[in-house]
Amino acid sequence: MSLIGTDIRRSEDRPLLTGTATFVGDLWREGQLWARVVRSYSPHGILNGIDIDAARESKGVVDVITAADVPDARIPIRLPFAETPQATLALQPLLARDRVRFVGEAVAVVVAEDPYLAEDAAELVVLDLEELDPVADTRTALGAPALHEELGSNVVNVFPMAYGGDVDGAFAAASVVVTDTLRVPRNAGTPLETRGVLADVDESGRLVVWGAAKVKHFNRDVLAGLLELPPERIVLVEGNVGGGFGVRGEFYPEDFLIPFLVIRLGRPVKWIEDRREHFVAANHSREQEHELELAVSADGALLAFRDRFRVDIGAYVRTQGVLMPLITLQQLVGPYAWGAFELDASAVLTNKTPAGTFRAPGVTEATFVRERMIDRAAAELGIDPIELRRRNLIPGNSMPFRFEFGNGAPPIVYDSGDFPAIFAALLERAGYEELRAEQRRALAEGRRVGIGISVFTEMGGIGPWEHARIVPLADGRFCVQCGIASLGQGVQTALAQIAGDQLGVPFDAIEIDHTDTDTVPMGFGAFASRSTVLAGNAIALAAQDLKEKAGDGPLDAARLAAEDIVGEGRFEKEAPSFSFGANLSVVEIDPETGSVHVVKHVVAFDVGRAVNPTLLRGQLAGGAAQGIAGALWEELPYDDDAQPLVTSFVDYLMPTAEDLPPIDVVVLEFPTAGNPLGLKGGGEAGVAGAPAAVANAVADALGEAGAGVNELPLSAARVRALLGSG
Amino acid sequence: MSRADAPYDPPMAAPDGAFTDADAELGVELTLNGAPASFSVPARWTLADALREKLGLTGTHLGCEHGICGACTVLLDGDAVRACLVLAVQADGHEVETVEGLADGEELAPLQRAFHEHHALQCGFCTPGFLMTATAFVRDEPQATPARVREALSGNLCRCTGYAPIVTAVQMVLDERRA
Amino acid sequence: MKPPPFAYARAGSLEEALDLLAEGSEDVKALAGGQSLVPALSFRLVRPSHLVDIDGIAGLDEIRESDGRLSIGALARHAALARLERAGSWGALAAAARAIGHDAIRVRGTLGGSLAHADPAAELPVVALALDAELLLASRGGRRTVAAADFFLGPFTTALAPGELLVETTFAAPPAGARTAFCEFATRTGDFALACVCVGVGPGWARIAVGGVGATPVRAPQAEALLAASGADAVEEAAATAGRELEVYGDRTANEGRRRDLVRTLTRRALAEALGSA
Repeated sequence: MSLIGTDIRRSEDRPLLTGTATFVGDLWREGQLWARVVRSYSPHGILNGIDIDAARESKGVVDVITAADVPDARIPIRLPFAETPQATLALQPLLARDRVRFVGEAVAVVVAEDPYLAEDAAELVVLDLEELDPVADTRTALGAPALHEELGSNVVNVFPMAYGGDVDGAFAAASVVVTDTLRVPRNAGTPLETRGVLADVDESGRLVVWGAAKVKHFNRDVLAGLLELPPERIVLVEGNVGGGFGVRGEFYPEDFLIPFLVIRLGRPVKWIEDRREHFVAANHSREQEHELELAVSADGALLAFRDRFRVDIGAYVRTQGVLMPLITLQQLVGPYAWGAFELDASAVLTNKTPAGTFRAPGVTEATFVRERMIDRAAAELGIDPIELRRRNLIPGNSMPFRFEFGNGAPPIVYDSGDFPAIFAALLERAGYEELRAEQRRALAEGRRVGIGISVFTEMGGIGPWEHARIVPLADGRFCVQCGIASLGQGVQTALAQIAGDQLGVPFDAIEIDHTDTDTVPMGFGAFASRSTVLAGNAIALAAQDLKEKAGDGPLDAARLAAEDIVGEGRFEKEAPSFSFGANLSVVEIDPETGSVHVVKHVVAFDVGRAVNPTLLRGQLAGGAAQGIAGALWEELPYDDDAQPLVTSFVDYLMPTAEDLPPIDVVVLEFPTAGNPLGLKGGGEAGVAGAPAAVANAVADALGEAGAGVNELPLSAARVRALLGSG
Repeated sequence: MSRADAPYDPPMAAPDGAFTDADAELGVELTLNGAPASFSVPARWTLADALREKLGLTGTHLGCEHGICGACTVLLDGDAVRACLVLAVQADGHEVETVEGLADGEELAPLQRAFHEHHALQCGFCTPGFLMTATAFVRDEPQATPARVREALSGNLCRCTGYAPIVTAVQMVLDERRA
Repeated sequence: MKPPPFAYARAGSLEEALDLLAEGSEDVKALAGGQSLVPALSFRLVRPSHLVDIDGIAGLDEIRESDGRLSIGALARHAALARLERAGSWGALAAAARAIGHDAIRVRGTLGGSLAHADPAAELPVVALALDAELLLASRGGRRTVAAADFFLGPFTTALAPGELLVETTFAAPPAGARTAFCEFATRTGDFALACVCVGVGPGWARIAVGGVGATPVRAPQAEALLAASGADAVEEAAATAGRELEVYGDRTANEGRRRDLVRTLTRRALAEALGSA
């Protein structure tokens, strides 16, 4: 029986269950000092000076640093395809220099004997600020003076994308055109563990940095460059990580400042972000405004669409560059055979926390706006929204399906899968016909029940490559080294299953090591649902290599260890894969208060091949929970003066056990030819279709008033207003 | 660990009836996971920080420090409470149980086994808090209804699982107890 | 988010607490369950110079019923109130306590703490107002009683004078034949209420107290008059009147219209429950 596809219990659990795991906050170094970052309370101003005298004198304080003490450098962009000349003119400095540009921007760091004393001292730092007019939204940004003078504009880049020729003609010929402006609010990944960095110099003089995650090798190289040290002198160590969701692991100012202080002070320094800081300092995401129109024929063929949208990326371009508009563009198309479309995406700067990715970035926003409009079109035509989708999903026998773009841009390729079949599987699992019957009965009783659907294609398994090394051990086991990262998703277990399967050894004979940057010389990390796909295939190649070197017969680890025989594999992947998914949501609305209760939620997803079905279902269910939360409760609004209004869990409303139904998950497997193991990534897909399905369900429950559903979150107040509070 | 062995200069006991200086380190003696323990901290230190930094018991996690996420849940005289909302000095003379006290040597407690069986943890950061909440709940309300189970768990936040496997794990332990 | 520094004293008795409160300057706060005070300290929203810890004082948590009145010591925990008979005279009090936060909050938070903290959105002040509670305040100088209607002066502001501690709250039972209920609207269970209502209705007697819409909990006298006169027949009209007659504020979380709308809905629901037709 193959280990791939088996529900093996996780190997990671015991320390987490017994409280002996080591998250960065749990680590301790002899003589360690505590750092506290001082942050701007103003969203926009000229920083004429910082008075640190009182802070310096405060009890237990060892040092206070400002921009004057650190290099005048900027944090670079990690993704080459998201780096533009304009984007590089809006990068964030290590500490604010002449300007502050968002509430929460780091302006100084206090170092003291304990975190209580550090916080006391940080309050004594005084900023000499000449406040400037704040830019609180993208509309204002368009007409406001440039936040970054060199850039000259608050629009960093505009990315047009067009397909299929005569979009105007398609609209002219359409029977129905639906138009609207749809908004997705600011949200954030909000892992339960905040960020943290602990750094020290070890006996051999190497700088060791704990608290690393996601993209350790890139971060090590950036740090080395900023500190002017050779990369080999630095090691980034990943311990237990309390969730990432896109937010943790990107290179932030603190990832430089803490190691810098260690070198400066000659003592270990520890920084643990508090929750209020996290809300203003760690990446936000999702805030987009789309002007979208769809052209549909009388018999329900989706002809063409146009979308002009703005992504609010906050005050600086951080490590992910202008990724967000690009990645949204790729996923607006969805699983439909459009004749033509015309897209226009811009990344716009505002005086708010910089924005990067949040799980299923781009696809979640795109799916919401597109699937809402598909339902609107269905309503206009008088066609059932399910039927409209059935008519337009790309059929299974059309795979691979390509959208080619003229100007040298890479095509969007759907290489495998059967979208209609997966859609049917969703409806069958949900018991769609019976749900509609129940809805009719509920309506007769005066209860407002709604059913909503969404479909999407999600980009995953992003390259360029990963490396794996399999080292036989004297004790008979095999150590598998690779450069991805764990954010808590159970990747070690899944990779161990692949390794065991490919080597022909038991699961318990495998040890996965991805802990630090020394383990493998280079890795690209964990994001874009790539870890299992890239590392898994690299492990498969390494296993093949080891078996070839070992000769015939079962592998004898001890013998191979004695002979120093090691397997190496490098898996390259040029293009991302796209998988198909669908969601169905059932809601009931309390018409008197507007409260929305999610009664049922089903996620269907094509993962190519499920390595560990239980872990995958856990990822999909957890993702759907986040998506539902984004549809109904979570929001990071700012006021007109660009002051954040939500900076704690008092107002950032994450769902509890009472707020969510059990999420039903249907996993389908249409292996891709794009990699030997046939895997498509699955870590993010749970989120992607959830807000759209919930929004469509709310609109369905609202009846005619549902046409007004074009903005999230669908808070009770918003729903009540749509119902018409009289 | 008795006060005599504590690695500090003889600390001031928290005297009844008189104000101590803000800076003063106050001695705290408590029963921790069934055994005597002590530490000294300034009055403003939370119980969560004292457990983590003074006693090295880092299983109790800080997720928000304002009493909402529940990651810091411990038992105080048998009740599940948020350790970030208890001043460490308030634990003087009381009994505290933390996640480190659940297992019996190598043998996991029923709730810990159930969480593992049902994949009720992913990143694991919220897990100690859930385990302590559930420990008190299962002890105090063995006959709880499914709705009450959900309510009892609604004071702890999880960002990874969507809760269903956690509810299942707790329900399983309740069912086992009734059987 | 660590608390700022403060001088600390633990009181072993009520007398000791009162001495300490008198000694500790204007900037002194009493700490009981800490469920409101400690987060405020962690956010550094308050910076008392002195903290008197009364959490361990014995005998201040008793719940006694006599002559149709319920006297509750200031240190009685919300969890204890939540266990009061739902069907009896104190059902609304039990329901209100149940609605506070989550189990871990209720096992620590106290009635005295909640009333003295006087959060405009809090549940227990609304019940205190509805049931004509009398609050016993003690200081080194003596004792005095203040009616709930005179106790809540503004957001987080009460009639407590410097050096005074709330030691006991006495609720009057509704008249014979009257029923009470409590209802609130919060986004998630346990969240701060956007609005909450405590009602009582009986022959010729009515109470409608509302929280979360103004600086303090308030009564709705016109709506009460309608109810007292016409009982169950006036439920709709009374609810609508309550939604109209009160001074209601609006903010980003809920604008004025939204809060009025909620007051009307909650009043109707609470009355329906009290009258047994929920």
